Amino acid sequence: MNTVASGSAAGMGVEIDDVQSGALRPRPVPYEGKFIFLRVDDRHAGRALLRRLLPVTAGGLPSVDRSQDAWVAVAFTYQGLRALGVPQESLDSFPRAFREGMAARAELIGDVGESAPAHWEAPFGTGDVHIALSALSSDAAQLDKELERARVAYEDTPGVQVIWQQEVRQLPTGRTTFGFRDGISHPNIEGVGLPGSNPQEAPIKAGEFILGYPDETGSLPPMPSPDVLGRNGTYAAVRKIHTNVAAWRQYLRAHTSTAQEEALLAAKLVGRWPSGAPLTLTPEHDDPELAADPHRNNNFLYRENDDRGFRCPAGAHIRRTNPRDSTIIGDARMHRLIRRGTTYGPPLPEGVLEDDGADRGLVGVFLGAHLERQFEFIKAEWVNDGNFIGYPGEQDPVAGHHGGTGSVTIPEKPVRRRLRNLPSFVVTRGGEYCFVPGLRALRWLAELQD
Amino acid sequence: MTATTGAAPSAQPERPGRSDGVCSEFTVFTKIKPGHADALREDLVALADAAASENVHAAVRQIGTLHDARHVIFDNDTRFMFASVFDGSWDTYIDDFAQTVVGARFDKVFSHSEGFPGVTDPGVKDWFVAQQEPAEVFVSAYPDLTVQQIYKDHRVEEAFEAVLDTAEFRAALDNPANAELLATPAFQKLLEEAAA
Repeated sequence: MNTVASGSAAGMGVEIDDVQSGALRPRPVPYEGKFIFLRVDDRHAGRALLRRLLPVTAGGLPSVDRSQDAWVAVAFTYQGLRALGVPQESLDSFPRAFREGMAARAELIGDVGESAPAHWEAPFGTGDVHIALSALSSDAAQLDKELERARVAYEDTPGVQVIWQQEVRQLPTGRTTFGFRDGISHPNIEGVGLPGSNPQEAPIKAGEFILGYPDETGSLPPMPSPDVLGRNGTYAAVRKIHTNVAAWRQYLRAHTSTAQEEALLAAKLVGRWPSGAPLTLTPEHDDPELAADPHRNNNFLYRENDDRGFRCPAGAHIRRTNPRDSTIIGDARMHRLIRRGTTYGPPLPEGVLEDDGADRGLVGVFLGAHLERQFEFIKAEWVNDGNFIGYPGEQDPVAGHHGGTGSVTIPEKPVRRRLRNLPSFVVTRGGEYCFVPGLRALRWLAELQD
Repeated sequence: MTATTGAAPSAQPERPGRSDGVCSEFTVFTKIKPGHADALREDLVALADAAASENVHAAVRQIGTLHDARHVIFDNDTRFMFASVFDGSWDTYIDDFAQTVVGARFDKVFSHSEGFPGVTDPGVKDWFVAQQEPAEVFVSAYPDLTVQQIYKDHRVEEAFEAVLDTAEFRAALDNPANAELLATPAFQKLLEEAAA
């Protein structure tokens, strides 16, 4: 088992080859992928499937060989672990949020109104989602090859049903459905050998992302038992989010009078320009050259030059969800996540302001060792409220559920701008909390007896 | 397509405090370790020391969600009460503050209570909940205001009063060029506050 020493700090070596590639590897650019949900009707069949999936499931970091640039990841809901016959004592050792599942936590994380579980797309939230497979690649042919290997595994296994599939792929523009480049920011995790994208970020303890190692509190994260099941695992909040692109464009158009103002307002709500260039580094205009430079496009903090948010508003999407060193209530390092957004559906053609009825949006995967302290905290405190930045009750302009009554404050001299009556630009179509075991743990699950 | 959720909504029984608007009360009663009452009292005196007052208030400001807190030793030095009011839930930021000087104070004070696992222990929330007694009644005079909002309101009020004290502001009110502004309902509200 290889362990790597961190390049930037003497941290505890992480058994990186035992960690699923899908847990840590940044999304390739460009990318194609697929999410597949399975229901296990027979635990023996479920275990047989896992035995077939084992050789297909990737661990560790990317090889230099680009032909290997595709990976399949396997994750389980609490109901899935139950269906596989994991002993009750072990099931009980999982954290509460995971045991309850995302639908049960809807109130807490703000999935209310049109985003409430009652309106979710089946099978989300029904308890039928047991196993979540994901396959990602930078290359369509590679993806097909990996998917084929996975497909052979589950199609040969009666007693396991495919109940949902979702293709995701990068739009031709290389941007999200809202028209912004994403996937830029990655945490700097100690002892993993994968540099973070912000050279100014002090390394975050591996235990914030992988079970079995000390985290930022200095303790080991609570880990499910037995040890072999928990070690090198992590949790993933998987969400399908529909984006109201027409509503977004209409809102921007209605609140500006020139194309330039419109572009600036959109950037103020997101925190980056469409190219990905951060407002904090280029507050007046987009800078594609800066955006294209991986050494610069995430190389910034807020406190020294932008603490009050005159460049990037404190309420902007990327600043809320990753406040870096901003003045906030609490300690941002306790709430870091690995984020992986992947786009589904067709783009709304450039310049179109009317909704075409197409379903489009993203499948977001949010990874970390602490569901409650990371994903759920970020939703409750940073996305669905603004008290932590001194704007009580204001939500994330892009990701909040505003229902037509939202407001957003954009710091400006002499007087801040405050926009009101924000509609919701996103609707939750469904979500599940998953456990992403290490490879040895996957083998343990596959070899369960009884 | 509609999903029927198999899971029951989380009622969050792990947060038993009562709330009024944005804030909630958090009251715990613990048993003082035998012979520890004086040491606890010393630690509390140190916390409340006039010389440390600035530090105390700096620490409270650092929390940013704490309205007030009191520490009481009672029952002939056998029991200890910590009663407080927080914005949101007391435990939302407990992990964050466990990392700070505030957490260190908390750790010191509760170290004299039986069974306290330490503020950075993963089980600390459960321990607090086990010692918590929810209030029968909890009421706030300002249920809509968070600590952050109160700070902001206070800053704005002080700045506003300072403006009222300038001759230039009086002159601006008398200047006909500003009549349009003065006539707006929003400015009239401001003038109402300015008048007394």
